[in-house]
Amino acid sequence: MNKVKTFLSNLLKKDATKTIVTSLWCALLGLVLGFLILLLINAKDAAYGMTSVLGNYLIFSNPSDRLNYFGQTLAKTAPLLAMSLSILFSYKVGLFNLGGSGQYSIAVIIITLLGVGLNLPWWLVMIIAIIAASIWSMISGALKAFFNVNEVISGIMLNWIALYLTNGILTSTPSVWDSSHSEAFFIDSSSKSFIPSIGLDKLFAGNQIVGLGMILILVIVAVIFVLFKKTTIGYELKATGFNVEAANYAGINKVKNILIATAVSGALAGLAAVLNLQNGFTSWRLSSVTPEIGFQGISAAFLGGLHPIGVIFSSYFIVHITEGGSMITDLGFAPEVASIITSVIIYLSGFVAFFKEVMRKNEIKEEFNKMSRRKESQS
Amino acid sequence: MKENYVIEMLDITKRFGNILANDHINIRLQKGHILALCGENGAGKSTIMSILFGLYEPDEGVIKKDGEIVKISNPNDATRLNIGMVHQHFKLVDTFTVLQNIILGEETLKEYKGNLNIFKKAFNFLNKRIFKLIDYKTAREEVEKIINQYDLNVDLDKKIKDISVEMQQKVEIIKMLYRHNDILIFDEPTAVLTEQEIHDFLNILRNLKKEGKSIIFISHKLNEVFEVSDEITVIRKGKYIDTLSAKDTSKEEISALMVGREVDVFKKKTKKVPLGEVLRVEHLIVVDPNSKKKIVNDVSFNVRKGEIVTLAGIDGNGQQEVVYGITGMKKVHNGAITLNNKDISNFSIRERIKAGISHIPEDRHKHGLVLDYSIYENSVLDRYYERQFSKHLFLKDKAIKEYGDNLINKYDIRSSGDGNTIVRSMSGGNQQKIIVGREIERNQDLLIAVQPTRGLDIGAIEVIHELLLKQREENKAILLVSLELDQVLSLSDRILVMYEGEIVGEFDPNKVNKETLGLYMSGAKKDQVNAIKENEHE
Repeated sequence: MNKVKTFLSNLLKKDATKTIVTSLWCALLGLVLGFLILLLINAKDAAYGMTSVLGNYLIFSNPSDRLNYFGQTLAKTAPLLAMSLSILFSYKVGLFNLGGSGQYSIAVIIITLLGVGLNLPWWLVMIIAIIAASIWSMISGALKAFFNVNEVISGIMLNWIALYLTNGILTSTPSVWDSSHSEAFFIDSSSKSFIPSIGLDKLFAGNQIVGLGMILILVIVAVIFVLFKKTTIGYELKATGFNVEAANYAGINKVKNILIATAVSGALAGLAAVLNLQNGFTSWRLSSVTPEIGFQGISAAFLGGLHPIGVIFSSYFIVHITEGGSMITDLGFAPEVASIITSVIIYLSGFVAFFKEVMRKNEIKEEFNKMSRRKESQS
Repeated sequence: MKENYVIEMLDITKRFGNILANDHINIRLQKGHILALCGENGAGKSTIMSILFGLYEPDEGVIKKDGEIVKISNPNDATRLNIGMVHQHFKLVDTFTVLQNIILGEETLKEYKGNLNIFKKAFNFLNKRIFKLIDYKTAREEVEKIINQYDLNVDLDKKIKDISVEMQQKVEIIKMLYRHNDILIFDEPTAVLTEQEIHDFLNILRNLKKEGKSIIFISHKLNEVFEVSDEITVIRKGKYIDTLSAKDTSKEEISALMVGREVDVFKKKTKKVPLGEVLRVEHLIVVDPNSKKKIVNDVSFNVRKGEIVTLAGIDGNGQQEVVYGITGMKKVHNGAITLNNKDISNFSIRERIKAGISHIPEDRHKHGLVLDYSIYENSVLDRYYERQFSKHLFLKDKAIKEYGDNLINKYDIRSSGDGNTIVRSMSGGNQQKIIVGREIERNQDLLIAVQPTRGLDIGAIEVIHELLLKQREENKAILLVSLELDQVLSLSDRILVMYEGEIVGEFDPNKVNKETLGLYMSGAKKDQVNAIKENEHE
C-alpha cells in the first residue's frame, strides 16, 4: 500500500504528470462553464445539449453512422494537429509563431490554384504549398534573426498581408472562384489533388476523407518527437530556446536555428492547409478575418503541454467538442452557443501554465511546512 | 572640539544565511564632510550603504542621526530622514522625461479647475490624490532653482533613454536634492564614467559639500578618493579596518589596508619554464557600441604552454571584453588573435572552440549552462556534435551518459538525483563544477578561466585551484581573469594589470606585493606609468 502511495506521489511530482493533470483540469473546468452557459440559455435541453457536445458521433444509434463520423472527427483532427505542431516547434526554440494563419493562407493560394485550377497530382500540390508557406514564415524568421524584429509582431502583420493576398488572388481567378457562394471551389474526392484514402475508408464505413493525410501527420509527430529527443539538431534548437546566450557561448549558430525553426513551423502551418483543403473539408471563403485555425493551434499546443504526443490528444479533444457542438443547433440553441462553449473550453486551456504554477507553489508551501515542522520537533 | 556627526552607524552586523556580509562596522559621517568608503570587491561596502538607505535591516548595531537613535526599515524612512542614495545601476524610468523622473513619487499637485464635485462625492472612498493634477510648472521652477544653485546642467524635457550616462547621474543627484536630502550616498559613482566625466563629477561633489551637504561615496579608485574626501573608512572582507583623515594618510597606506597584509596559504606551485607560445593577442580594441568608449584599448600579450597568465584588475576595466574578443563572443574593433600560430581573428565561436580554446565563463547562468538542461546534457554543451557523442545527427545517449557520470565522479558534482537532474535545481558551487569539469576535460591547448571561484566556498575553491595548477603541469596555456589578489599572486606566473581598458603593468608574482598591485589596479600608478612610457619614446 505504501509502495503504491510513494509511486503515486513520485509520479505526481513528475513534470509530465503535472502537465497532464493540469490539462485535464482545464478541459473539465471549461466543460463545466460551458454547461452553465447552456443552463442559462435553455435549462430544459441543457443536459442533452452537453451530452451531444461531449458525445459527438456517439449520439448516433446506427453503428455505421458512428464509425463514419468518428472517421470524420479523426480526419479533421489532422490539420489542427499540424498547426499545433507548428506552434510547438517554434516555441521549443523560444519563438512564438502567431503567424500561423498567414502561413496557412499562403498555402491555400497554392493549393487552390494548383489543385482546383490545374488539377495537379496531390503530392505535387502538397509539396509546393508547404514550401510556399515555409518561405513566407521565413520572412518573419529572417527579420528576427538579422534585425531582431519581434516575431509576434511581424507574424501578425504578415497574417493580414497574406489574408488580403489570398482574397485578391483567388477572387480574380475565375477558374477557381465560385462567385455565387463567394468561396473557392472544393477539391472533391474524384480530383487528382485529393489526398488518396489508400483503403482506410473501408475501416470507417466508406468515409473517403479518412486517408493518407492522417498517417502522414502521425509520422511527422514521431519525427518531431525523435528530433527533439534524440538528435543534435534538436539539442541545438532546444538549447537556443532555453538560453540563447549559453548556446552562443557553445558555438551554436543562433541565426541558423531561428531560420530552421521558422521554416519548419511555416511548413507545418502549410501542411494544415493541405490537410484541410486537399481532404475537401473546406475551401477559402471571402473573409475579412484571418483563419482561426492559426489561433486554435495555439490553444491545442498549450493544452497538449507543448509535447508532440500531448498535442495529438488536445487537438483531437478540441475537434471533438467543436464537431459535437455543431450538432446542438438542432436543439434550438443558436449556432453561436456551440462556438461559445468550445471557445470557453479552449480559452481555459490557455490556463495550463497558470495551474501548473499554482501546483508548484502549493508544493513549495508543503515542503516549507514540512521543514518547519521538522525544525520544531528537533528543538 | 567635539565632532558634529550627522550619521553614526555603530557596530553594524549583517548576515545573509551563513555569510557575514558586515561584521561590526562603524561609519561616522561629519556634517559637511565627504567620507570615502574603500574596500575590495565583496568587502561589504554596498551592503552597509544599503542598510543606511533602508534596503536591508541590520542584525545588530544602531544607527544615529544627529546623535539620536533612528530606525530605518525601508527607503521611505531614509527619505524622511533626508538620506538619499544613488545606486550603481540608476533607478530611472527610461521612457519618462528628466523632469518626470525627478518628481516621480514626490509630485506637486494642483486642483483640477473644472467641476468634479459629483465624481468626488461618488468616489469619496478613494485616495483624494486621484482628483488632482500634477503641477509641472511649479515643479519645473523648483528643479530649475536646484540646477542653477548646484550648476547641474541637464535638459529637463529629454527622455532618459536619450541622454548619456553622465547626464543620468546628474538626474539622480537632482532627484536627491529635490527631496531635500542632506546626506547623500553614492555607490561607485565613477565606475560608469570616462576620465573627463569623473573630473566633472568630482567638481559637483565639491559644490554639494560647499552647500553643506554631507556625502558618503564608495570607490576603490584611490586617485579620486584622495582628491575630494575628508575622511576615508576602509573595510575588508566585511570587517571594519580603520578610518583615517585624508590629510594624514597616503594612497599606499590605504591600498595596503584595503587588501590586507595577512598571507593566505595556497598550494605551492612548482618551478617551470614555459614552452612555446599558444595565444598571442595584438593591439586588441573593443569599443562599446552605446557609449563609443574604448573598453579595451590597444591590448597586446601572449600566453605560453605551461604558464598561468592572469589579467588582474578591478571589475569592469576591460578584462571581460578581452576574453569575449578572444573567444569570439563579442565583435572586436581592431586587433589580431593568433592561436598556435594560426590567425583566428575571423573565426566563428565554434571554429575557435575547435581550434583549441576552452572557456570557463564569468557568468555561469548566462553563458556557462543551459539551466533547464540536465547535468548530462550540459556536460556536452560545447561538444555534443563531436564524433564521440553523435553519429549521423543522432546523439549517442549512452556515450553522453557515461561521459557525464565520469564528470560527476571525477569532479564530485553533487545533486539531489542522478545525471538527469535539471541543473537549475543545483547549488552554485556544483553548477560551477560542471563547467570547470567540462572545460578541463576537453583537454584543449588554451584554457581561459574567468573568475572560476566566484561565490564558491573554501573547499570548492581549493579544488579548482588544484585543477588549474594541474593543467599548468600538463603544459596547457592558461589565461586567468581574477579580481582576488591572493588568487592572482599564488596562481600566476605572470600578472597583467588592467585599468580602464589598458594593460598598465606586467609583474612577476614573486617580485611584487599586493600593495603595489592595488595601486596599479586603482589607477594611482597610471600617471607614473604614462610618464615612463613617454620617457621611453624620447
